[in-house]
Amino acid sequence: MANACAVVGVGQSARYRSKIKMSIAGLVREAAQEALKDAGCTWNDIDAVIIGKAPDFFEGVVMPEIYLAEALGCVGKPMLRVHTAGSVGGSTAIVAASYVQSGQFNRVLTVAYEKQSESNAMWALSSKQPFSPHLNAGAGGFFAPIIREYMRRSGAPADTGCKVALKDRKHALRNPRAHMHEKPEDLDLEKYVNSFMLWEPLRFSEVCPSSDGACAMVLASEDLAKKSPNPPAWIHGAAMRSEPTMYPWREEVNPQAGIDCAKDVYSQAGITNPRKEIDAAEVYVPFSWYEPMWLENLGFAEVNQGWKLTEEGATFIDGGDIPWNCSGGVLSSNPIGASGMIRFAEAALQVRGMAGEHQVDGAKTALGHAYGGGSQFFAMWIVRSTKP
Amino acid sequence: MSREDDVLRAEFDLEFTYTRSTGPVIGRFYTDLRDGKLCGIKASDGRVLCPPQEYDPVTAEDLSEFVSLPDTGVVTVWNWVKQPRAKHPLQKAFAWALIKIDGADTPMLHAVDAGSESAMKPGMKVKVRWAKERKGAITDIACFEPA
Repeated sequence: MANACAVVGVGQSARYRSKIKMSIAGLVREAAQEALKDAGCTWNDIDAVIIGKAPDFFEGVVMPEIYLAEALGCVGKPMLRVHTAGSVGGSTAIVAASYVQSGQFNRVLTVAYEKQSESNAMWALSSKQPFSPHLNAGAGGFFAPIIREYMRRSGAPADTGCKVALKDRKHALRNPRAHMHEKPEDLDLEKYVNSFMLWEPLRFSEVCPSSDGACAMVLASEDLAKKSPNPPAWIHGAAMRSEPTMYPWREEVNPQAGIDCAKDVYSQAGITNPRKEIDAAEVYVPFSWYEPMWLENLGFAEVNQGWKLTEEGATFIDGGDIPWNCSGGVLSSNPIGASGMIRFAEAALQVRGMAGEHQVDGAKTALGHAYGGGSQFFAMWIVRSTKP
Repeated sequence: MSREDDVLRAEFDLEFTYTRSTGPVIGRFYTDLRDGKLCGIKASDGRVLCPPQEYDPVTAEDLSEFVSLPDTGVVTVWNWVKQPRAKHPLQKAFAWALIKIDGADTPMLHAVDAGSESAMKPGMKVKVRWAKERKGAITDIACFEPA
């Protein structure tokens, strides 16, 4: 049986933006210092630092964790880098938690970041290769055919995606850190469905922005968590799964690795009916249609029925029974490497009662979720306001 | 076994120009280089770090006390490059060296144009050869040369 571990500090960039004029070191430090403050501790109280980062070639800094040692106060301390593409922020949090659960360390700082303004994810994901046509596809081009297949199978209305995006951008207005703060008059379904087509069926209004930002958490053992100044978020389950990008019988719309990961994390937390038992969820939805697809993959809805929850408003903070991405989600802020950790941290904030204007009233159980690569890396955790 | 002319060949240039926000400390160092000056920064233990660092290597606190330094220093260790590559700072035999700028306590890496390997010695005095056109980059120092 693992030792208990809790989130006792959360820090994020003051505002996710398209260009934060800080060094990468300054960016991670801002989030880390806020997490330390929340946890009521200093650099000296941290036993180890676990860093997550999407591919090195996004910013062109190889092994950035080494250059960040001074900024994160971990010169001479154990440091570990985690790398699982877009899901890395989630995986990093889980790796950090495992060091506390194993008893190896009592208090760990974990950080993830991205500076999209100084990198080019589109280029990095779609580099030209000899003897092949150059597909400037990026992530959206990869996921669009999978989304078309979901629409074909489920018979969902064509504007479900726009409704997801609109809902998350409404949520974002309640989160002062969110990158996308649209004018209220632009939060209009008519405008969303008429925005220009990027990757059929994905319109400009339905895709995540390119953001700079960092997220950090302090994770602590039971003894330390009980002494922390703010309420802890206790980890009740944490799971990771992965599968290859391509194999002949791969189910790309509803990946097996995601189903298995959810099953594992629910079983650890004793959850049998996620829609009923989870009060808030922060789920990695960078392209609108991934909300209905993940509603199914995560067991909140039957296969091909997920879009109905979106249509009914079940995932909206006002009146929805299972609010998804009250922070505005990845659709409103996407510093890639950090995005998974933001989901995990926002889930923790919800059960700590510290989510501010986007707090789900009385949230006791929350899901944090991240996915990455070609929908092949999954990381999830369940946090609660009560100790396991 | 395929013959040489059976092999498919294609030009393949993969490149991308990265940008970087340097922040208040490295940014100041680069701006000084553009102006033909060197600076270091004072650490919590009193050492002067050159190039300067944003955060203290011992206490992790923010550093902000800049120290103006001369453009002279001494070589601590070096590696002789007999055949420079296209992107090296000099297109003749040179040394990669750690150079402690006078008044600094930590060395920086740069090239030394010493003419021959036998001219390189531990503790040898060197000075900056400034680039003709400077734009706020480490290459504003063309190389170091014996002083």
